[in-house]
Amino acid sequence: MINALTASPLFGLLLCFGTYLIGVKIQQKLKTPLANPLIIAAALCIALLLALDIPLENFKVGGQYITLFLGPATASLALSIYRQFSVLKKNLIPVIVGTAVGSAVSMSSVLLLCKLFRLEEIMAKSLLAKSVTTAIAIEITAQQGGLPSITVAAVVITGIMGAVLSPYLIKMLRISDRVAAGLAIGTASHALGTTKALQIGDIEGAMSSIAIGVAGFITVIFAMFLG
Amino acid sequence: MEIIKQLLLILGACFAGEVISALLPITFPSSVIAMILLFVLLLSGALKEANINKVGDFLLQNMSIFFLPSAIGILEHWGVISGVLVQFLLICLITTLITFAATAYTVMFVQKLMNRGGRHD
Repeated sequence: MINALTASPLFGLLLCFGTYLIGVKIQQKLKTPLANPLIIAAALCIALLLALDIPLENFKVGGQYITLFLGPATASLALSIYRQFSVLKKNLIPVIVGTAVGSAVSMSSVLLLCKLFRLEEIMAKSLLAKSVTTAIAIEITAQQGGLPSITVAAVVITGIMGAVLSPYLIKMLRISDRVAAGLAIGTASHALGTTKALQIGDIEGAMSSIAIGVAGFITVIFAMFLG
Repeated sequence: MEIIKQLLLILGACFAGEVISALLPITFPSSVIAMILLFVLLLSGALKEANINKVGDFLLQNMSIFFLPSAIGILEHWGVISGVLVQFLLICLITTLITFAATAYTVMFVQKLMNRGGRHD
């Protein structure tokens, strides 16, 4: 009975929208990046699927329609870069050099640590793009032959770490330059970190938003040479 | 009507991205091509912000829900990750710290060089 009903595409759609709304409500109450709507929603969905013994395949029937919109959402990042274009033009060289060095350091430190921890190659391939925004990271993982779900987990965890730690890092590392702070947040922890950057200040927020797109683009280019 | 028009433009850019991606001799994510395409169109003035802002902002502001099905896919690959969970978390933490420091110090160094160059002018 449950199996037949949950095979409807509406089941996956309802589950996603419902749990995500609960996640957003919880974050609005708690006001901390630790209460991330995506993590809450994913945990609720997984708990429900396991508790009622609903096959993942049934969830995917509806879930695929939501995943379909990842592409258009990534393309829409053009809008946010365009809105920051005057700031981007003014700081073009620091933006390009900073995000390029940051992206290269991120990717090589992932590969190095995976070797050090003797992890399987599939993990290295799945974690390579973990610092960039999920939509771009998933594409890179697919091209490298990694597992997208591991990438999503790593990207979200990285983003939350960045959002929580960045105010302390700015102080501890004595980052006196606001452009540098914003670019560092966006390059290391994409859109989730940017939510924190926007709270720190307008320059930090703008630079962090720019870094999401630019670091994503540069990481795609670097990954091409690895693939 | 307005929403349909905006959807048509954004989905059209995505489809064009897929066509270009298929034609390219290298593998390059089609959604990133679509992003570049829209950005160039906006810059050139061929496309106005108001032509795609309603659907675009909806997608941007609610971006994280589109990752939910992929995140739940972790159920399928739990076997790969459960044995190395500590290493997985350590990699996330360490690389985030190193990337942050590398980016921030590089930008400050470049700013310093550029300021020095400016003084010589």
